[in-house]
Amino acid sequence: MSTTNNHLQGKAYWRSLEQLAETDEFKDLVKQEFPADAAELTNPVSRRKFLTLMGASMALAGLTSCRRPVEKIIPYVIKPEEITPGKPQYYATNMPFGTESCGLLVESHEGRPTKIEGNRLHPATQGSSNVYMQAEMLNLYDPDRSQVVLRKGRNASWQAYRAAWKKQAKRFTESGGEGLAVLTESFSSPSLMRLAQAFRTKFPQARLVAYDSVSDATIYAGLQAATGALARPDYAFDKARVVLSLDADFLQMDSNDIQYSRDFTSQRKVHTEQDEMNRLYVVEGVFSVTGGMADHRLRIQSGQIGMFAAALAAELGAQGLEIQAPAVSAEIDTGWLKALAADLLANRGASLVVGGRRQRAEVHTLIALINDALGNTGKTVSYSSNPDRMVSNLTAFTELTRDMQAGRITALVLLGGNPVYQAPADLDFAAALEQVPYSVHLSSHVDETSTKTTWHIPRAHFLESWGDVSGYGGAGIIQPLIAPLFDGKNCVDVLSDLISDEATWAYAVVRETWKSLLPAAHFEKNWRQVVHDGFTSLPRETQLSFDHQQAQAAVLAANYYVPAATPESMELVLSASFATYDGRYANNGWMQELPHPITKLTWDNVALMSPATAQQLQVKNESVIKINRAGTELIVPVWVLPGLADNTLNLELGYGRNIGRVATGAGIHVGGLRTLKQMDIASGVTVVKAAGSYKLACVQDYHGLDEEQLAAHAIEERLPSIVRESTLENYRKDPEFAMALAETTDPQSMSMWKEQQYTTGNQWGMAIDLSACTGCSACTIACQSENNIPVIGKDEVSRGRDMSWIRLDRYFSGEVDDPEMIFQPVACQQCEMAPCENVCPVAATTHSSEGLNEMAYNRCIGTRYCANNCPYKVRRFNFFNFSKDMPEIVQMAMNPDVTIRFRGVMEKCTYCIQRINVAKIGAKNEGRDLADGDVVVACQQACPTNAIAFGNILDPESEVSRIKSRNRDYALLGELNLQPRTTYTARLRNPNPAIAAPGEHYV
Amino acid sequence: MSIINNHPERDPDATLAVGGNELLVSGSPTFHTLTDQVSGIVENKTPPKWYLLFAMAVSGLMLLIGSIGWLVWEGTGVWGLNNPVGWGWAIVNFVFWVGIGHAGTLISAILFLLRQQWRTAINRFAEAMTIFAVISALVFPGIHVGRIWLAYYMFPVPNQMLIWPNFRSPLLWDIFAVGTYFTVSTLFWYVGLIPDLATLRDRATKVRKKVLGFFAMGWRGGNRQWQHYEKAYLMLAGLATPLVLSVHSVVATDFATSLVPGWHTTLFPPYFVAGAVFSGFGMVMTLALIARKIYGLENIITLDHLEKMNKIILVTGSMVGYSYMTEFFISWYSGNEFEVFTFVNRAFGPYAWAYWIMFTCNVITPQIFWFKKLRRSIPVMFVASIFVNIGMWFERFVITVSSLSRDYLPAAWDYFSPTLWDILTFIGSFGLFFTFFLLFLRFLPMVALSEVKGTLHAADPHNYPEETGGAK
Repeated sequence: MSTTNNHLQGKAYWRSLEQLAETDEFKDLVKQEFPADAAELTNPVSRRKFLTLMGASMALAGLTSCRRPVEKIIPYVIKPEEITPGKPQYYATNMPFGTESCGLLVESHEGRPTKIEGNRLHPATQGSSNVYMQAEMLNLYDPDRSQVVLRKGRNASWQAYRAAWKKQAKRFTESGGEGLAVLTESFSSPSLMRLAQAFRTKFPQARLVAYDSVSDATIYAGLQAATGALARPDYAFDKARVVLSLDADFLQMDSNDIQYSRDFTSQRKVHTEQDEMNRLYVVEGVFSVTGGMADHRLRIQSGQIGMFAAALAAELGAQGLEIQAPAVSAEIDTGWLKALAADLLANRGASLVVGGRRQRAEVHTLIALINDALGNTGKTVSYSSNPDRMVSNLTAFTELTRDMQAGRITALVLLGGNPVYQAPADLDFAAALEQVPYSVHLSSHVDETSTKTTWHIPRAHFLESWGDVSGYGGAGIIQPLIAPLFDGKNCVDVLSDLISDEATWAYAVVRETWKSLLPAAHFEKNWRQVVHDGFTSLPRETQLSFDHQQAQAAVLAANYYVPAATPESMELVLSASFATYDGRYANNGWMQELPHPITKLTWDNVALMSPATAQQLQVKNESVIKINRAGTELIVPVWVLPGLADNTLNLELGYGRNIGRVATGAGIHVGGLRTLKQMDIASGVTVVKAAGSYKLACVQDYHGLDEEQLAAHAIEERLPSIVRESTLENYRKDPEFAMALAETTDPQSMSMWKEQQYTTGNQWGMAIDLSACTGCSACTIACQSENNIPVIGKDEVSRGRDMSWIRLDRYFSGEVDDPEMIFQPVACQQCEMAPCENVCPVAATTHSSEGLNEMAYNRCIGTRYCANNCPYKVRRFNFFNFSKDMPEIVQMAMNPDVTIRFRGVMEKCTYCIQRINVAKIGAKNEGRDLADGDVVVACQQACPTNAIAFGNILDPESEVSRIKSRNRDYALLGELNLQPRTTYTARLRNPNPAIAAPGEHYV
Repeated sequence: MSIINNHPERDPDATLAVGGNELLVSGSPTFHTLTDQVSGIVENKTPPKWYLLFAMAVSGLMLLIGSIGWLVWEGTGVWGLNNPVGWGWAIVNFVFWVGIGHAGTLISAILFLLRQQWRTAINRFAEAMTIFAVISALVFPGIHVGRIWLAYYMFPVPNQMLIWPNFRSPLLWDIFAVGTYFTVSTLFWYVGLIPDLATLRDRATKVRKKVLGFFAMGWRGGNRQWQHYEKAYLMLAGLATPLVLSVHSVVATDFATSLVPGWHTTLFPPYFVAGAVFSGFGMVMTLALIARKIYGLENIITLDHLEKMNKIILVTGSMVGYSYMTEFFISWYSGNEFEVFTFVNRAFGPYAWAYWIMFTCNVITPQIFWFKKLRRSIPVMFVASIFVNIGMWFERFVITVSSLSRDYLPAAWDYFSPTLWDILTFIGSFGLFFTFFLLFLRFLPMVALSEVKGTLHAADPHNYPEETGGAK
């Protein structure tokens, strides 16, 4: 798995792709413009089909054998020198994500990118990834992406667009840009920033504004009060012993989650009783993945978090810290607060307070002040500015919209973004846009905004374009993996086209930028090195000093009082969607079908509320409520989630977009409830129960367990042995607690004969550390991408047929309205005494000499007995031919090393046997034995917290053997004596002894 | 089987038969009247009622073919199955039909060996039902697999892949058990038919005579032929007897050898056999009551016969009820939390409705047959027999679905709901069954003539009308 090769070697393939584009099939595909209907990927039951069949049923025997598709293979006539068919190549690139970026290593098969991994050389990703990185693979091959330039909805061309712009440009060159505006998404890119400055130079009167509906703008604004610059906080979770999160979801939804997940969990990997562990306090109103990792979690309304911070500052002050708290009083559990303050004080310089992006700017100022008072500045948190960064600015965006409304803007260029969908409702951006005579929208889809602008121009995916990023630890280059599939251009192309008279190429622009960034000597060599590595440690960021006095003054001047929400006047928290983020993954089947880690819902956004609030509204799961916020009404389905603050509703943005065959019909657009003043946390919302119900597709807990005491009791009884956990303190007293939680039996004494022994060669095994698993779901989607797992649609998911090979089980424990949460990824456990094997009548699933439980797909006839007999229920059945209707372009995302399963076939985790074999062949060719780390399975590679270890369990030095030798290692359902190869490390929490422990009660 | 009374209480109308026993058929028939009565059904003009019933049955069969066609076209997903519940109505229907197919061979083989001569009135009928029930059952293992066109992988056919089926899998045992049972049952039935086919042949003309003659295999009724015939019949009865017990025991191992709580129990084989006999007799009862009414066979299938069958229903029903209690006791006694939960969940969980239907029909219903009056009441036994059939279908549903829906890991639990196609396929299987059954009633003698004749006075070599005062 080398990371060799550079951009130039990709060229040969691009040309052949263009040749491919000449074929009739491809042209037909391109002609298929935006099919508006077709809600689901598969529509298994249609009456017409049935009638056809009734007529033809006599011919069935013949027909069934013709159902496999006939495929044409196009071989190379002249093989490109650097490509060996069947052998993938890996290229480094970067994925921009707002002001953040992730370093990628992309697997490419014969010029076709198929899998995204993290770039090991990148300081933040370090080889791992998150769900969004993985999902970009499917975004690239989204068949609903826009494919042509449109002028007022009619097909046009790039030439026509350029000609039209030239006329505008002439006018604006004369006027200095008066009336011209460019609206971008936030970015952090040397080239884009260079172009932005050139744009400003050329059109001094023009406006250049960035806006994102989900951004860290409040954090930047809050820190501006203390540092005087647009500062980004950089946290060092690996140096913090006590962490307090105030509404921050730093393990999942907030910026730089991959690095923070790794750093945070690095302090929670307890190997022996002697090891230390950090402690996490979470104060939040909604339930986040970070909240699930908490040792102590306090649920208070999101709007009250600022008051909590003030109370904390006061308590810290009372306990002797030099800090002046703003004068507000909040009803906080004082015992909890005192213990927290004492814990923070005891860990000065090794504690860390982080705030979530939904909080107002002044809360972030206060948080920074507390960190500074605790001596954390420069130790666990530092602040940096970056000249390449363009931050979302709501004020500037508002001004721009007002000017558009007033007719002062005559030309508007939208570089990405989707403000009609994303802007606060009371701004009415759509109406303002209508006042602009010339508007251009660069967008990947013909979306809500594109239909309202005069020009729509298709946007290239970042895997199709040149660009660069700059951020934490340096800067990197975005290099294309494939020529644009749909004739798209990227922001660099379009922005440079705005300011330049002749046609430009993003590659030239980026090279030009980097000429000033890299040492002048040996530029070509350095450039090639950066393109190869993807990232280089350029000092683009400047460390900022923290002005305590200034921050203190700002804090004292601000108002932290927010009245608490009541049943009559509720609080509404609008958060970025786990699945679609701000809507950008709305047309991505993997993301829509990826169960939300906490609710386990797919394909929809819902109003989450606490059990108490639900009871008070007399609603339950799948009920429907009417939300009224300042006259705007919206009807949404309900899901009851324990752990939310009472009188708080939580809705996810990013749904209800009718932009493609996947997005259409999924969820509800809730952006209409956002206003300028309260973007994320709205108060004064009234809620009433509405008539009817709404069917939701949930993959766990198919009906509320509180309704059924019987099941709840059983779960409570069995969970302590399924997900074993304890506290660090108890672990030290009783190191073998994980074993004591269930009966264990001597495996040899239970067999009537001598069982097969696995004592030679590579014996594969996996160990999963439950203390490090945050529930981020990156493994699930990495597995989906690696193993060609189909997307089946909401209807099929609601029938309980979800196909993910890794089921991320989520359990609650403790109090029903304020629970603790634990995740357990469950894939095939590769039992040595696999119960699935002996029941298969055709021997389609058998054991390999390396201890793998293997599936022979073409032998499987689909009796489903194996799935019935699997106590872990990890086998997945192809109830239909789920891949049948897959568009040709999506087929390009499939991994050629893994079979596409036909209908009627059972499938399951294989421990990525294709990767094992690639590594084995590689080692054999090099004439050596496999070494530990040669095989990295997809879930393990993706996991940002390295919670998954994989390797040869016979090698005592391998990582997996070391982890399995922990005294907290246990086999799930070990009492069945199936000898699973996957084992779990019991989870530890590290509660503060000064705070009462929650009860041992599972639901 | 000691409960089956060889010497029923004396009926004032009854007369003594061979060996001083009471006559098993009423109305003092002779060989000739019996032959006329039973052959007449086949030879007379088809009654209009038959056409009506046949049309309904064939419609049901078409429904089955259509449902299977849709299933093959679209995939297993047209049924309501999901991830934890991999087996649903198809397997339930399979076990249900195989169970029904138990009564016939039990009546003809085991009761033959036990010299229960009352069986002669119903054995032909019951055997035919067995065969058709097994055919209906065999439809399901074939269509329930995901890739129906490759179902032949389950047979030990030499092939270019050099792969045998997996002999450790109970599904494979099933293939052999049910296949053997079907073969032997059919053979047994056919051998029993030979003398009667010859009787029909002798009364027929033209093509009909030729066809019947072919199947009668040259039967002339000579002494040597009878000698061979009786030996063959006895041997086949001996062969079929263990199969009655083995086939459902093996079907039970489909469940019992797994590790699913609620399936993994050694009780299953005897419990399944008792349940199968119970449901088989229920079905024989339902069909016999209708047929004897329509075809006027009250003198051959008498109330005494029906009462005896009700006694068997009472016995096997009580055995089934006892098994239910044992399951509960053992699950509690095992101390295994998963086992305990499975059974409590059956009775009080989301499938409690199915459990209590099953319990009411199978445990409470047969207990009414403790009372002689109810045992001899046609309407009561008709309703009860239908209840037994409903109850036994639900028993299989409860075992299959409720166990799978909630097994070990709570995160994997899910609820099963059938789709329209599940229901249509099930209804269609009745269409298949009744199509065969009505054809049987129309074209073959539904009473084993030669055997019933063997119970008459005239068959007794020591018969003298004046001594017995019976035959005239």
